[in-house]
Order: sequence, then structure tokens, then C-alpha cells
Amino acid sequence: MDASELVTIMKQVAQRDRQAFATLYKSTAAKLYGVVLRILYRPDLSDEVLQDVYLKIWDKAADFDATKSSVITWMVTIARNRALDIKRRKQPQSVEDLPESVEIAAESDDPLQSRELREALQQVNLCMQGIEQPKRDMVLLAYLHGLSREQLAQKFNAPVATIKTWLHRSLAQLRLCLQSRAEGSA
Amino acid sequence: MSTPDRDDIGLLAGEYVLGTLDESEHNDLSVRRSHNAQLDQIITAWEQRFAPLALAIKPVEPPAEVFSGLLRRLDSHVRAGDNIVQLQRQVKRWRRVAVGVSALAASLLAYVGFQSLRPAQPDQLVAVLQQSDTSPAFLVSVDIKSRELTIRSVAAPAQQGKSYELWIVNDKLGAPRSLGVVDTQGATVRRALVTYDSTVVRDAVYAITLEPRGGSPTGHATGPILYTGKLLEMAQ
Repeated sequence: MDASELVTIMKQVAQRDRQAFATLYKSTAAKLYGVVLRILYRPDLSDEVLQDVYLKIWDKAADFDATKSSVITWMVTIARNRALDIKRRKQPQSVEDLPESVEIAAESDDPLQSRELREALQQVNLCMQGIEQPKRDMVLLAYLHGLSREQLAQKFNAPVATIKTWLHRSLAQLRLCLQSRAEGSA
Repeated sequence: MSTPDRDDIGLLAGEYVLGTLDESEHNDLSVRRSHNAQLDQIITAWEQRFAPLALAIKPVEPPAEVFSGLLRRLDSHVRAGDNIVQLQRQVKRWRRVAVGVSALAASLLAYVGFQSLRPAQPDQLVAVLQQSDTSPAFLVSVDIKSRELTIRSVAAPAQQGKSYELWIVNDKLGAPRSLGVVDTQGATVRRALVTYDSTVVRDAVYAITLEPRGGSPTGHATGPILYTGKLLEMAQ
């Protein structure tokens, strides 16, 4: 199912079409489950969170705005936010369980991704490569694995205030890089 | 305390999306986002910047029982939701035709079993605090003249060792201000809004967070935001 078909399905879900809701789930659940599992690590929690996410999507389908976001980006944002909410409430996992460094997939052949999204991944990859280590890993561990400032401080053996400063510098650098690349290609 | 400049807000919004803000900062930003379109736009921009990374994560097929469980939950979710959707439609219809205040208030309150509110007056405003369109949790009533606020749980479950705390959120106030801890049994009545301007009270977003027992120890929201809502003018 491609991105434009998903928009049609989402409109049907907004009309309370259960068949469309089932189709949406079948087409996107593996993607969202991957995101949630990466943050929570625990399948028992992730199963329930995935259900929470789809109930929220059911409730909010009418709010989806195709001019602001793709369907899958909107859904992934809901999934990440719910997973992070639950992670904040539960006992945090040990930083020892986390990977030493984080690789970003260079590209994805997932049909849910439009050409624009694949290009956006290339852009963000290039800009992330410009952030020096270990700051790059900090940003990725936070975004992809849901690590808090405290967990990053523990993992990288640095004060929390330093982590905050590094994150802000990395974010500023990333924003600038993405903005200048967007202006360059405009 | 210095006012954060635009760039600080931009980077805080980035951390909000990363998920690295501490609970208090995160909740402050969540509440402010809900009524500040510019901040919402900044946060959305960060979500868009990072989204390709999440979309590149390898898909993992969830167990089959997750879907069957979801359908079961959807059934009860829809049943619960139908009631509040109906309630909201009633409120909108009532507002449109400008029926008498007491008829509206009586129907609304009878509908949700909120009999302890005093008879409605023209200056009485009501808000339904909810997580989504289908999950009402608290009803708030404000007498704008006396600034007296009444809040009652409709469907908020008691949380062991925790307290619900009510906040008033309005850009004119800066950070969200506490209106006190709320009981899950019966109605809580207090003159908590007496120091606030009536315009601030009318335009504010009201939010419930889950805090340690007795309320936030810091004076700022520290727990997750569970429910939000705005006051409806009952007499038009």
C-alpha cells in the first residue's frame, strides 16, 4: 500500500469504518511495533502500547492533516509518544543492555515510504554524519531507544548538564544542516 | 528568572521530540503546545526532521493476539465513546440554538450524574476534561463572577499512591499554575480562581496531571498530562 492509499484509508477510518481500520492495522502495525519495541524492549508492554496507539489513531483520525504530514509519519509520532510515556512511568532499563553505538539504516525499500521520505532519510543521515561522536550516538540513542538525559549521562560518564549542552549543540547543528540543504535544493 | 529566547524554545522543542526533557519540562511544554500554535509548529517541525530515522527502523510483526485484543478493546472503547460524543453534540446543538441556560445545564448534568453542581447561572461555564474525544474524565464548572470552581470525576480511576492535580494554562500566566489536588470521589469546590482575571479564566486550557500523593512537590506539573479541556460558555 502506498502513501496516497494510506491517506484514503485514514479518511475512511475517520468515518468510523472498521474494515478500513483493520486494513490500516495490517499495513502499518509491523512498522509501529518495530518503533515501540525499540524504545520499550519489553514485548509484554509493547503489545498493549500498540493497542493504545491504534485506539488513539481511531479517535484522532479526523484530525489527520495530509498537508502537514504523511500518514505513516503521523502514526509513528503517536507510537513514539505513547512508548515514551510508558517508558517514563516504568522502571528504566539498564544502560548495559543498550547497544554500544547506533547505526541508521542508509535507505529503506519499505513501500510505505514515499520517495520524499526516502530522500528525507538520506538528508538526515548526511546531517547526522556531520555531528561528531559521541554526540551523534547520544541523539540516536535518545530518539530511537528513548534514553533520558540521566541514562545518557550514565552511559557516557558525563554530568547531566553536559549531556544537555551536547544535545542542544547537536540539535542546533542538525537543524542548521537540514535547513541549508533544503535551501540548497530549493 | 530569565525568559527563554526563541532559540532556547526551539532547542527545548527538539529535546521534547527526542524525549530527553525531564518530566516537569516535558509536561510544561505539552500543556503550552496545546494552546500555542507557534510552539506546536516548532515541535511538529522537529517531529518531521527526525521521523525518517524512526521510519527506517526494521518492521517487526506483532503477535496475532495483539490485533484480536485490539478489536475487543475497540468495542468497549466505542461504547464508552458514543456517550460523550452524544453529549458533545448535545452541547453544540444547545449552544447553536441558544436555549435557556438552565435547560442545558440540567440536561448536561443529569446526563453525567453531576447533580452536586448548583443550579446554572448565566455566568457559569463548564468544561469536559478528557484525553480524547471519547474519554471524558472530569467535569469542571466555573462561576465566573465568584471565580468559584467545582470539579468532579466522571470516569477517572483512583490511582494508588498518586493524586490528580488540576492546572490552569494560559500564555498570559507563563508556566501552568496549580489549582490544587482533585478528589476522585464527590465534588471538589474551591475559590481557586479568585486571583485570576476573568479573561484569563475564560480563555485558559484546564489540564489534569497525575502527581505524587498530595500533589506536585515542586509547584510545577511533574506527572503525565492525562486530561485537558476548555470552558464552554453556557449562555449565549
